[in-house]
Amino acid sequence: MDVRQELVKLAESKPELAYLVRESLEAVDRSGTLLEIEGARLAILGKKGRVSEIFKHLSEVPAEDRPEIGRVANMLRRYVEAELARKSEELKESDAEAMQKRQALDVTLPGRRAPVGRKHLLTQVIEEVTSIFISLGYWIESGPEAELDYYNFEALNTPAYHPSRSLLDTFYIMKNEPDKNSPDDVLLRTHTSPVQVRVMESRTPPLYVVSPGKAYRREAIDATHTAMFYQVEGFAVDRGIHMGHLKGTLEVVARKLFGSERRVRFRPDFFPFTEPSAEVDVSCHVCEGKGCALCKGIGWLEILGCGMIDPNVFEYVGYDPEEYTGFAFGMGIERIAMLKYGIEDIRLFYENDVRFLRQF
Amino acid sequence: MRVSLEWLKDYVDIAVPSNELAELLSMSGSSVDRVIEEGKGLEGVVVGHVVEVRPHPNADKLRIAIVDDGSTMRKIVCGAPNLKEGKKYALALPGARLPSVSDKTMHSATIRGVKSEGMFTSGAELGVNEDTSGIFELGREAPVGVDIRKALSLEDVIFDLEVTPNRPDCMSMMGIAREVAALTGKTLHLPQVEVSEKGPPIDGNARVMINDSAVCPRYTARVIKGAKVADSPLWMQRRLLAAGARPINNIVDVTNYVLLELGQPLHAFDLNLLGEKTIVVRLAHHGELITTLDGVDRQLDDQSLVIADTSKPVALAGVMGGGDSEVTERTSDVLIESAYFEPTSILRTSKRLGIRTEASSRFERGTDHEGTKLAAERAAWLMSELSGGVVAAGDIDVYPNPISPVSIDLRPERVNQLLGTQIAKNETVEILKKLEMEIEDNDVLKVRVPSFRRDLEREIDLIEEIARIHGYWKIPSALPAGGGMDAGLTIGQRLEERVTDSLSAQGLMEVWTDSFMRVEDLDRMRVPQGDRLRDLVTLVNPLAETGEVMRTTIVPGLLRVAARNINRGIKDLALFEQGRVFFAGEPGELPVERQCVDILLSGEKGTYGWGGDEREVDYYDLKGLVENLRAALKVKDLRFEAGDCPCMMPGTCAEVAVGEHTVGYLGRLHPEVADAFHVAGEFYIAELALEPLLDASEAGHEYRPLGRFPSVKLDIAVVVDEELAGSSVGDSIYRNGGEFLQSVRLFDLYHGPQIPHGKKSLAYALEFASTERTLTDEETRVELERIIDTLREEFGAQIRGREQDQGEST
Ligand SMILES: [Zn+2]
Repeated sequence: MDVRQELVKLAESKPELAYLVRESLEAVDRSGTLLEIEGARLAILGKKGRVSEIFKHLSEVPAEDRPEIGRVANMLRRYVEAELARKSEELKESDAEAMQKRQALDVTLPGRRAPVGRKHLLTQVIEEVTSIFISLGYWIESGPEAELDYYNFEALNTPAYHPSRSLLDTFYIMKNEPDKNSPDDVLLRTHTSPVQVRVMESRTPPLYVVSPGKAYRREAIDATHTAMFYQVEGFAVDRGIHMGHLKGTLEVVARKLFGSERRVRFRPDFFPFTEPSAEVDVSCHVCEGKGCALCKGIGWLEILGCGMIDPNVFEYVGYDPEEYTGFAFGMGIERIAMLKYGIEDIRLFYENDVRFLRQF
Repeated sequence: MRVSLEWLKDYVDIAVPSNELAELLSMSGSSVDRVIEEGKGLEGVVVGHVVEVRPHPNADKLRIAIVDDGSTMRKIVCGAPNLKEGKKYALALPGARLPSVSDKTMHSATIRGVKSEGMFTSGAELGVNEDTSGIFELGREAPVGVDIRKALSLEDVIFDLEVTPNRPDCMSMMGIAREVAALTGKTLHLPQVEVSEKGPPIDGNARVMINDSAVCPRYTARVIKGAKVADSPLWMQRRLLAAGARPINNIVDVTNYVLLELGQPLHAFDLNLLGEKTIVVRLAHHGELITTLDGVDRQLDDQSLVIADTSKPVALAGVMGGGDSEVTERTSDVLIESAYFEPTSILRTSKRLGIRTEASSRFERGTDHEGTKLAAERAAWLMSELSGGVVAAGDIDVYPNPISPVSIDLRPERVNQLLGTQIAKNETVEILKKLEMEIEDNDVLKVRVPSFRRDLEREIDLIEEIARIHGYWKIPSALPAGGGMDAGLTIGQRLEERVTDSLSAQGLMEVWTDSFMRVEDLDRMRVPQGDRLRDLVTLVNPLAETGEVMRTTIVPGLLRVAARNINRGIKDLALFEQGRVFFAGEPGELPVERQCVDILLSGEKGTYGWGGDEREVDYYDLKGLVENLRAALKVKDLRFEAGDCPCMMPGTCAEVAVGEHTVGYLGRLHPEVADAFHVAGEFYIAELALEPLLDASEAGHEYRPLGRFPSVKLDIAVVVDEELAGSSVGDSIYRNGGEFLQSVRLFDLYHGPQIPHGKKSLAYALEFASTERTLTDEETRVELERIIDTLREEFGAQIRGREQDQGEST
């Protein structure tokens, strides 16, 4: 005989219990939700519930009946407890199942993304380059884009009749007081190198400086030329700086930019403000030096010009070239970006087609 | 410059393969851009002799040549303008291979109904030069039927190399041969000069006077008598062609040949056309005229150096000869000029007149003042050999103030200090000797520089030579100390980076536009006269495609980017640019450059994807971006006040200020401005100066402890006059919020039937908390009452909802 039948049978023999037990069992049977189960639990097993009531009124029944009534009450309590627990467990299980079904997603649909912005590719390359130099112990300086001829050419040892000084190649700026003897010609700097002179004029070595910035050349605009472009200038002036330092530094930079397995070579070249001067090539990362369209079959990509700062430049800024030596370099950011990403037309950078900007 | 390997071998023994030689030259400063293997793969092309030319029956521009190919007569259809009876041309027979054209084999073809049994080829098709204007013509003595490679000695390698501007000495075969000798350790052979002076003495036959020896320090002349002007022999034509020069006649060709060989520009005058057979080197008279060899009449100024006879200029010194004294077929006596001119004088003249020649490009960089005699002799010998003329005895050499040789002190230890090498002293000496320097070997080396090395003046110049010949690749790499404490970004630089970080993180695309603009851009932007934006920096020599002034605002650039994208179908735009704008400076000062950041929004704002969150952007989206930028830069108080910027639609513009400084403005672009820039739609634009923002940044601000006690959140809706600036309500709540008020956030703006006409309702969420305890209901009620009382007092505000709680009615 199961507990329920026994309970009902026992209760029938005690009329004062019969009603309470029947009602309790019905309440248990009726409860179909978690809320109802909780209600039934309170009504039967709570402080003021049916079972407590039985015990409370125990003193009122004949002494010989008390053990039996107590036994029935305890039986009821255990039965109700177990039954309610079983029911609530069942309910929870089926509820969770339904809930899961309701909340299931098509996980294959695309996500909803917040609109994503981008830094311009050139900004990204500049940040990459400057952060490499900062890790090598450099800091950043900037200078005016509208610059004096003195800083752009003269103090950088450029001869008076140098072709780059002509109105054909350099943008000059109208003087705002034509009658007065204006000190110098003002022009749009043709490179970032004037920052070298300005920094050396205002500080004493050691100097480890990079200077990213815009420069301008009066060039017909085509796939490889724009009138405005971006350079990163860099220079180091200290006691004992030698050409090995120039090589070591730029090897690190070239490999960080183009991959650690790249080979780097220095070819002699000529610039008015450095001597010895060099052009730096990095082995082509597309064909690994075998020759391809990017490197025009040569296997090498020219990435920057550099050299040891010419003693004449030191003399312009009042440094003793016997005490201090230094190196300097300048790289075109567009060129680096074009080589890294295989971009063939420099004008894309300044067209700002969102479909282009979004790719980087 | 084109260097023929076959020619180069006259002056130096070459044992390395041509690609290795190219590498050696490149790695020592003479950058070899291209190695051209002439004649490689060229097959089936012979010397053809045109016996007869007939018209083509079906085409006016084509003709039919009957050609002797050495064994048979062929019919060749040809359209070249320079086809002439009796001449010899390069003839490609059926089955020929022309690798410069394609790797396919040639076949005979029928052209307009006439079968052509082969074809004549151009110089470009042969790969010997770049000429495509006609067919390649050979000299009279070219043997008919012989393979073209043999006839032209086409088994040659041409190095197309780029000489740096400081090395005029390398603009010659001799100069490159010197480099090769130094790099490979081989001996240099000087060119042959065995001049036999069979003619009369030069003194009675010509005179040279230098009026200005500062500009023309040296003038050497030789005279050839009884020359017969004719074509040069094939070997010389071939060498000139290989170097990219055009053969003309034996006299002119010799001057070009020696120029290419020794780097000394020469000029040949018809001696009998020189008045009184006299050369006068002088400055031109102002306004004097000369007709140069290119047929142009040129007016001279009084700073141009000319070669004159006793009456008129006969050449622009160092730049170009004159037509009057040109060597022609009638010439029999020739005066060879071999002079040294001051570089800047030549540079000036060639720049002023806009002429650059093989001669001027060498003179302007500095030729060898000690080389004029040798070049004149070499030319005289070659001319007499080729033309049958006799060389007059002796030369004229006017060199009043000989230039002393350059001597430089070189400290061997300085070489290693500067290069970071350990090159032994004897190695240094070895290298310098290879470069033909004379050395007095002491602790400090006394180095005497050869006169053709005009670039060597200082110790550093010699150090560069040692580095070059030793090899840059042998210099060991190292890293210097670095800047220590000074390294890294400054706070200002970090903040500037944060501007691009913040805006790109907020979904904006960064753009980079030109620093230039046009004055009319300001008219389009409705900028009034006298406005600061019109303090323009104007270019003297603008380019048509960029604009004539520097930008004073980024807005035109952004609108052009918007227009371009919209035209390409991209209509939803969220752009920003950070860059400089330029204003005219004080007299005598540089222009003023200011860093600006601009934002442009247009079209729809939404997610990338689906779900229907898209909506048109509005002013508050733009302002939100600026507010987040403010937060990123840790600027405390940015004020937005109603503004009236003329480029903005009235009533939609706010001026932005921080402290005492105006930062910029934002708002909806005036539709007229949009029209003027050819863009349609609503544009929301902000332009902010960065400097005052960065200055106001409180980069080192302190942390606020977190509350451990629960906060109380209350909403209030404040009804005020429509005209009242909403910000003053929020500010008042802040100001009077007391110590427990943690935050105030506007969450709704409402106009409608619930509130009286002419009023608006602003709903704020307030949050109160204490750091010490849990606030009681009573405490927050007191705080709120005070806030409400002040709002009533200051603005006559009514509080919605709340009043009803208290049983009052509105
Ligand atoms: Zn490659």
